[in-house]
Amino acid sequence: MANKKNIVVEINPEIREALVEMGAVDAYKCYQCGKCASVCPWFQVGTYEFLVFRFPLETVLGLIASSEDKDDLAREVDKIYRCVGCEACVDQCPLGVKMPHILRSARRILVDFGSYPENLKSVVQKIRNVGNPLGEPREKRADWAEEIGVKDYSEEMEILYFACCLPSYDTRLKNVAKATAFLLKRAGVSFGILGAKESCCGEAIRRVGAESVYQETARSNIGNFKESGVKKVLVSSPHCYVTFQKEYPDLGGEFDAVHSTEFFWKCIEQGKILPKKSFGKKVVYHDPCTLGRQSGIYDAPRNILGSIPDLELLEVEDFSRNLSLCCGAGSGALWIDWPKGERMADIRIKQLVDTGADVIAVACPYCLQMFEETVKAMNLNVQVMDVSEILFESLGEDEVR
Amino acid sequence: MDLIVCIKRVPQTAEAEVRVDSSGKDIVKDRLTFDMNEADTYALEAAILLKEKFGGTITAISLGVADAEDTLRIALAKGADSAVRIKAEDFGELDGFKTAALLKEVIKDIKFDAIFTGCMATDDSYYQVGPVLAEMLGVPHATLVSKVEVSEEKVRVNRELEGGLIEHLEMSLPAVFAVQTGINEPRYASLIAIRRAAGKEIKILGKEDIPVETKTNSTLEELFVPPVGKRAEILTGSADEVAARTAGIIKEKGLI
Amino acid sequence: MANILAVVEHRQGAVRDITYELLTFGRKLAEKTDGKLTGVLLGHNVDNLTDNLKKHVHRLIVADHDVFKDFNGDVYQQALADIIKKENPFLTLIGNTAFGIDFCPSLATHLGVPFTTDCIDAEIADSGIRVTRQLYDGKMDTHMKLSESPSYMLTMRSGTCPAEEGNLSAEMQKIESPITTQPSYKKFIEYIEAAVGDVDITKADVLVGVGRGIKEQANLSMVEDFAKAIGGVVACSRPIVDANWLPKDRQVGSSGKTVKPKLYIAVGISGAFQHIAGMKNADTIIAINKDSNAPIFNEADYGIVDDLFKVLPALKSKIMELKK
Repeated sequence: MANKKNIVVEINPEIREALVEMGAVDAYKCYQCGKCASVCPWFQVGTYEFLVFRFPLETVLGLIASSEDKDDLAREVDKIYRCVGCEACVDQCPLGVKMPHILRSARRILVDFGSYPENLKSVVQKIRNVGNPLGEPREKRADWAEEIGVKDYSEEMEILYFACCLPSYDTRLKNVAKATAFLLKRAGVSFGILGAKESCCGEAIRRVGAESVYQETARSNIGNFKESGVKKVLVSSPHCYVTFQKEYPDLGGEFDAVHSTEFFWKCIEQGKILPKKSFGKKVVYHDPCTLGRQSGIYDAPRNILGSIPDLELLEVEDFSRNLSLCCGAGSGALWIDWPKGERMADIRIKQLVDTGADVIAVACPYCLQMFEETVKAMNLNVQVMDVSEILFESLGEDEVR
Repeated sequence: MDLIVCIKRVPQTAEAEVRVDSSGKDIVKDRLTFDMNEADTYALEAAILLKEKFGGTITAISLGVADAEDTLRIALAKGADSAVRIKAEDFGELDGFKTAALLKEVIKDIKFDAIFTGCMATDDSYYQVGPVLAEMLGVPHATLVSKVEVSEEKVRVNRELEGGLIEHLEMSLPAVFAVQTGINEPRYASLIAIRRAAGKEIKILGKEDIPVETKTNSTLEELFVPPVGKRAEILTGSADEVAARTAGIIKEKGLI
Repeated sequence: MANILAVVEHRQGAVRDITYELLTFGRKLAEKTDGKLTGVLLGHNVDNLTDNLKKHVHRLIVADHDVFKDFNGDVYQQALADIIKKENPFLTLIGNTAFGIDFCPSLATHLGVPFTTDCIDAEIADSGIRVTRQLYDGKMDTHMKLSESPSYMLTMRSGTCPAEEGNLSAEMQKIESPITTQPSYKKFIEYIEAAVGDVDITKADVLVGVGRGIKEQANLSMVEDFAKAIGGVVACSRPIVDANWLPKDRQVGSSGKTVKPKLYIAVGISGAFQHIAGMKNADTIIAINKDSNAPIFNEADYGIVDDLFKVLPALKSKIMELKK
């Protein structure tokens, strides 16, 4: 056995303890069956090695982001920020190991020491400074609403509409906020917005690892919700949805969050909204990770689309519902630019377009943003729309005011 | 080589909204994030690269309030061996000159081959600390340094001049180098290094340790938002309308 | 009566623009108090530079020696220390350039003279000096008073006082160089021209300058397409070079190239003064930026406050239409 090499690994219990302290406790559960790796979007991308099943072991051994070599370390940090938090692995794991939490624990330590990508630093800075990742002024947050006469929220209203950042500021995504507001009006719901008092829900920066700025931002929202007497919050973004549902309660913010697709499907069922105009296009629905896998909302968006006259609803065979492939924007990845050939959106768009659809329907601002950009870059003849936009278009002429 | 890096913790204002506070002499800081001054990150990396090559130690020094210790800890995690904070809260109003004077009081008792500073800080934009410190310590300096290459006794130094020109100098050590941004790729800190840094002691020096009278060269009287200059004619309308008008303007100038 | 001394900045046989800005500024300041402006030219074989300089100052001191052939901050510091001690000016003005900041702070410290750097304005007030400076990435201005002293020193940012034609005819005073050799610890070796790549942005008529606002390297191709459509070349601000998205020879600004194209389209550039310094002399400047407060709009002739990702493709297609 002369040429058998010894593998000597320096184990760092200190790192393990630090990671576990930061939330990586699931690492102990994993027995490395490897099922996670087969559903990880990086496996489908295929050009970047991301052995997700190794993170728990590396955590237990204290080997995460441990290289003393500058370039190796840069690659390791890059890897830690490759996880998009889609939770395809969590969905498949026989033991329910929360892989993104393991990586997030490392991110938290790195963020505290400024050792994370500059693009993400800038996002954290802007959210702290002006409450949105785009660095846009607070005063402009409600511009989209002013244009169509949406009121400020007051206590007697039924619903607070929380558009969050992209639909508040981005020229394309403002249309989602506007469609949502029109639909709420159509359904006769009393609703308002918080305008300049609204801050980012904080989901992305929490997943980036910027825990203290997340908590500060979340507390500011919770304080404003309470002060305004908010009970029920309607959101367009599934990222806001999971944050309000599952994470704000830890900070004392108990509000009833509802995603627009759930709410509008109920409105259709109750006859408050009547989709009657023919849509006349083939539509494929993309399940956003955070709405589907992470929130279990698969049917409401499909039901809405199915209720629209002359809309042919298509599915991506094999990669639908809980097996939907991530657009690649979660956990801060929206602001990271991976090299060409290593982009999840490119793969997912191909799957979606191959169905023969004219329109890709999404129910998440991140997916919309990613797919719009990808469709443009690839010069594809396909439209990307939010479910709320499609529903709005299907209202009869007499109903659109 | 024994190296010293001077580091400043500054508010990150490049992409932020900045407002004057009620005193009229400072900005509102509670919505800003703070980090190591950009040029200082390159200064630190330049020192770490030299230490990797020649061995030795790096001492990081920062004049700042208690939060500056977070920034010093980052320096420790990236490769500094020891860290010193000079308590800014003990010394009143500061400018580049007084900062250098206080740094000098600490550095004069430390053996060093080279001192690295950023060429300027983004908060007060002085370009002073490096050269003033060098003068006070009686050692040569170079500013806007884009390269420091040490071999034998000679040090090859490049300075970045206007117009893309480089000034190539030969210097001897000890010396002070005020480093320009973009000259290397600042590294991340590894989790192991972060853990080690977390346990390290940061030496804190205050008025009683530095019993000298230092004065600023200047006193800040007021802060105000810069007046707008000649404003551009802002073209308004949809992207298409604006594009059509702009194309028209370009054509008028004979450029199409 | 405030007598002012201004240090002439020159390189490779030519006086640099900052010098005439300093001299214009210094002369106005001196004349307000019936003082005189003295220029100091340290150089070698610089007779050809003096004629024009003499029009801008009341007196020109010239030290001609081969130690001044090229720039060495330490040599300047030693020579100027000697001259300033003899001249005893109320104020010494130096450019806030790679030249000035290499010796002003240490020179003033050596002389024990209150000084400050990177001023955009200065006035004589209450027998002292009050300056205007910019802080926090240029987002704040400040007024600062220098500590009381018989003598002061300032570096002035370039581009803050436009140079005017001179109409004086100064007497020239040649002096012995106070220094004759470079110190052993700091020796000038050579100037190195940054490698010129495939394009020379200083020669282009149309430049499309990109900045931080393009967000990702991948978006550069869109800007390149646009530049191609308009027959221009892509240039950039410093952050783009720092990120390694474009080579250094495409950088416009005080640490990059100074350009004077017929048309400069600033795309996603906020307009840090370092960048402005390199492009403000373009014939026509069009700025596209979604931040209406971006300083670039103070320099531009036309501004578009909108998302560059929407405007640029639209502008490209309009230009293609006009070309047909």
